[in-house]
Amino acid sequence: MKGKLEPSERERLVEEGKNLKESLVTLEEDLVKLKDELQHVAQSIPNMTHPDVPVGGEDSSAIRQEVGSPREFSFPIKDHLQLGKDLDLIDFDSAAEVSGSKFFYLKNEAVLLEMALLNWTLSQVMKKGYTPLTTPEIVRSSIVEKCGFQPRGDNTQVYSIDGTDQCLIGTAEIPVGGIHMDSILLESALPLKYIAFSHCFRTEAGAAGAATKGLYRVHQFSKAEMFVICQPEDSESFHQELIQIEEDLFTSLGLHFKTLDMATADLGAPAYRKFDIEAWMPGLGRFGEISSASNCTDYQSRRLGIRYRPSEPPQTGPKKGKANLPATKFVHTLNATACAVPRMMVCLLENYQQEDGSVVIPEPLRPFMGGIELIKPKHK
Amino acid sequence: MGLHKLRLAAAVPVTFSSRLFLKPFTNTLTLGLFSRHLQPRNKPLLVRAFSASAAVQDIPATQTSDSSARPLWKAAIDFKWIRDNKEAVEINIRNRNSNANLEAVLQLYENMVNLQKEVERLREERNNVAKKMKGKLEPSERERLVEEGKNLKESLVTLEEDLVKLKDELQHVAQSIPNMTHPDVPVGGEDSSAIRQEVGSPREFSFPIKDHLQLGKDLDLIDFDSAAEVSGSKFFYLKNEAVLLEMALLNWTLSQVMKKGYTPLTTPEIVRSSIVEKCGFQPRGDNTQVYSIDGTDQCLIGTAEIPVGGIHMDSILLESALPLKYIAFSHCFRTEAGAAGAATKGLYRVHQFSKAEMFVICQPEDSESFHQELIQIEEDLFTSLGLHFKTLDMATADLGAPAYRKFDIEAWMPGLGRFGEISSASNCTDYQSRRLGIRYRPSEPPQTGPKKGKANLPATKFVHTLNATACAVPRMMVCLLENYQQEDGSVVIPEPLRPFMGGIELIKPKHK
Repeated sequence: MKGKLEPSERERLVEEGKNLKESLVTLEEDLVKLKDELQHVAQSIPNMTHPDVPVGGEDSSAIRQEVGSPREFSFPIKDHLQLGKDLDLIDFDSAAEVSGSKFFYLKNEAVLLEMALLNWTLSQVMKKGYTPLTTPEIVRSSIVEKCGFQPRGDNTQVYSIDGTDQCLIGTAEIPVGGIHMDSILLESALPLKYIAFSHCFRTEAGAAGAATKGLYRVHQFSKAEMFVICQPEDSESFHQELIQIEEDLFTSLGLHFKTLDMATADLGAPAYRKFDIEAWMPGLGRFGEISSASNCTDYQSRRLGIRYRPSEPPQTGPKKGKANLPATKFVHTLNATACAVPRMMVCLLENYQQEDGSVVIPEPLRPFMGGIELIKPKHK
Repeated sequence: MGLHKLRLAAAVPVTFSSRLFLKPFTNTLTLGLFSRHLQPRNKPLLVRAFSASAAVQDIPATQTSDSSARPLWKAAIDFKWIRDNKEAVEINIRNRNSNANLEAVLQLYENMVNLQKEVERLREERNNVAKKMKGKLEPSERERLVEEGKNLKESLVTLEEDLVKLKDELQHVAQSIPNMTHPDVPVGGEDSSAIRQEVGSPREFSFPIKDHLQLGKDLDLIDFDSAAEVSGSKFFYLKNEAVLLEMALLNWTLSQVMKKGYTPLTTPEIVRSSIVEKCGFQPRGDNTQVYSIDGTDQCLIGTAEIPVGGIHMDSILLESALPLKYIAFSHCFRTEAGAAGAATKGLYRVHQFSKAEMFVICQPEDSESFHQELIQIEEDLFTSLGLHFKTLDMATADLGAPAYRKFDIEAWMPGLGRFGEISSASNCTDYQSRRLGIRYRPSEPPQTGPKKGKANLPATKFVHTLNATACAVPRMMVCLLENYQQEDGSVVIPEPLRPFMGGIELIKPKHK
């Protein structure tokens, strides 16, 4: 229409232009809606799975390693609830009045034990080059979603704050993942390795039955979580590093446990592969999960927008970023429990109880508890 | 438990506005939760004259309030004492700039007493009628008595309902009457607070100093920027040595305070909102400091004082069990709504922080000496860390409603260029225990006992409660970073903390 035209030709073009414009507006709206819908349904596609992961349900999980053996007791043993009462360590009753079920107070040596566990874990994991962190425990709900959790909806594990878009975290994985969201990291900055402490809050909606007793399933607990951000080619070896750290920690504490390579039906959507460690809890008479280590590959980073720029330009580069910079790639993220205090406490109390009702403190923890070797019954 | 949340969210009466608190450790109970009465044009609360004779007829229609909005709990307020000491109570209310309406309380109390008498009188009459109907009567006489009985019954039902409502209303207004005040407390506002003690002096720096935010950035210790994206303003991550420093502060504080016979505790950080109220805080209403959980009657705690106070609620303790002395660790969550201006920078005012709190439950005659013990512990802790601080005896207008007396410690923060509050120690006497229902049974029977409990046991009394900050980590961190910085940008770790930090003596700049 910029050139010289006959009036009738111009009029025809104006008409055509108007029609095209209207069609475009409609189609562009449709495109936006379609993209949104595509996002909506595609987001629930789970991560791919490592080829070595067993296919199937709970019973199909493979044992990667088993350490130690169940202690043989020459006397009738107590569970951690009974030990907690008898040694004045845990108060569930007052908490039920003040807060509700699945809340508790720790008292006396149990407080020192929690601090010793966290302090010792921190010192051990720092030696492996992990940066200590404490994190916010209130986060925007969008961050929770980007990590692969579901804040709203039936049976959500997530507590929401009234009148805001904020939630309580269920694990430090969430605020740590959020640190580098919408960022492009230098390849030289990787790997980033964190050990993060936080309190964790979980509604445990939908959890019922025997696996909810005492400290085994609670709404609030302290946890030290390892989080790694690395290049894609390194995530498998970091997964091995993380599980090794966990196994070393629990072996040092003298626990009897097995490391499981979780089968496909037991992986969360973000996990490419997941190792769970289940420790023997004699008072409960079964193994109970004390840690979980997941390689989430690029599932979380694609949602959190965490990329890195490789140092070397790629040999065959179909697409380059601006000004001859190599194109960015998505990082891989991994997370692993270094210490979930209540579950550790179940293990320590139940495994280290003695006939006279006392509980032995494992050696590595003693220096972190002012040298205490034994939790003794208190005479009233 | 658990009136539906919707019913409790009634609008706040216009004339009762919450105080804006710029200091984190003060709190007051206001009426936000129970506002069933919206009468902004007169006095906000109905005051009706209940005369004995008019008891049945004289009920204005406006009094018919939603019975489902009854208070969830009752404070065991000593109305007789208030009535007998009303001048002192009124002066106290004025000195504290409190919104409490003493006149309404006294009027309602009198109405309540009169109505109570009326109800009892009618009950007695009804009993008499019932007795008479047992004997032999003429048919007309019987019929008359039946009629009388019926009328009495109807009147009673109405009056008893009224009595319940009146008691609820009395609770409602009386709960906001603040605690009495220690005679030595200065009367007035902030500037009237007295200095109990001053320790140390401001360090003289031979180089330009940084504030804790700058030190936090330069030493890679504190990250506010990522937290602003992830959570919002006033949230932060601690990194590297700052994590070790937090743990050292808490570990060291614990070991020091345990030596004084305090029992360590960790507590729930989610509690029922009624517990929050009973401690003298206000979970709902404008500018509340309290975060509420969606879809429940639960809140996040702003201090461990709340769940610890709740441990012994609705209990009768043995005298021999007292005193109970706790040092409780928790994370604390505060909305800091209404807090604005310069006093919000960096770690000075945050939404979430770690704190070690001392809590004492004792006999009334011991609370003053425990208050001294608590403030002494705090002063010893901060002196050991080499801080320069002053202990203030807070003036009446700066006391929260529960506090009979409150000592605040303000430490010198050179980077901020002023003193900042790092701890607060309150003697709440029986204010909290009357709400939480914490009593004890004395061992010896009283010499002159007007009233005894069952079976010759001495009557129970309300305990006294006290609370005091042993360590509020972010504020301590401001002090330590700013006071112990060196010219080369490093920060010295005070000696007492080093063993709790794996021996680290210095936080050094990291080279990248």
